[in-house]
Amino acid sequence: MAYSDKVLDHYNHPRNVGSLDKADPNVGTGMVGAPECGDVMKLQVKVDATGVIAEAKFKTFGCGSAIASSSLATEWLKGKTVDEALAIKNTDIVNELSLPPVKIHCSVLAEDAIKAAISDYKRKQEERKPAEARA
Amino acid sequence: MNPVSSNYYDFFGLEHKLDLDLPDLEKRFYSLSRQYHPDRYTLKSREEQQYALDATAILNDAYRTLRDPLARAEYLLKENGFDIGEQGSKNVPPELLEEVFELNMALEELRGGDDSARPALEEARKKFVAMREQIDSDLRGQFTEYDRARDRNVLAEIRGILNRRRYVRNLVNEVEKELTGAAA
Repeated sequence: MAYSDKVLDHYNHPRNVGSLDKADPNVGTGMVGAPECGDVMKLQVKVDATGVIAEAKFKTFGCGSAIASSSLATEWLKGKTVDEALAIKNTDIVNELSLPPVKIHCSVLAEDAIKAAISDYKRKQEERKPAEARA
Repeated sequence: MNPVSSNYYDFFGLEHKLDLDLPDLEKRFYSLSRQYHPDRYTLKSREEQQYALDATAILNDAYRTLRDPLARAEYLLKENGFDIGEQGSKNVPPELLEEVFELNMALEELRGGDDSARPALEEARKKFVAMREQIDSDLRGQFTEYDRARDRNVLAEIRGILNRRRYVRNLVNEVEKELTGAAA
């Protein structure tokens, strides 16, 4: 099976590889995996004071499509609000990367990672509220 | 012509168990192979010939699946609604993902290094292989437990162990690839 040019481009030149400070309350971390193929994907977002995603980083151990899906996801996330980020669908990734049917689960993984990262961020923000109220 | 069962256990006339007596399975395989051998159907009707071909195809798939403990467990899990494809990523425990991620990171650091990384890679291989052996031993225990108790909770447990095994198998493959690559 041949990878599309876009997959190869992301695979050979992955965008935004790396990690953000997990302990930072403005950072949301999503760690997801697909046991079928043994892939594991970590995706992180840093949200600024206006609720916009200022930074997005990922690290994926898996096939080319999983790497490309998460690389593309981080590109799309930057500059989006948290709610806009949640609107990203795996089908958008499939279309952009021309993923074949056997690789659709890689895009699902990326969507799950976005959702996990955002929900981690939201949870941290909720936890911070009572502390600020007391202050 | 009795219609043959497409269920692998039923085809072999076996109880749906996780521990199987392999010599017995092999005996059954050879006996069924003879029974459905297309050579015995050459003088029969087209319909009967097709029947023999279909039965032989199922037989071969069934034997390949049941003689391998991992494929057998996947098959029985699927029969019971614990299909790996159905569960998505949400059922993978976060601790396992963290652990696999860290192991992959450590492996990546060793990668592409010079020969000095070799002892550390050998260490990593030993560690991953030991993890796989531990998993296989856990699986054997759970197989026995399921056959005894027929408890769906045990199947859920086995599903988790098999998922973990896939991750660890990948790590073993990756480190071995690295070691053979470094030797070249």
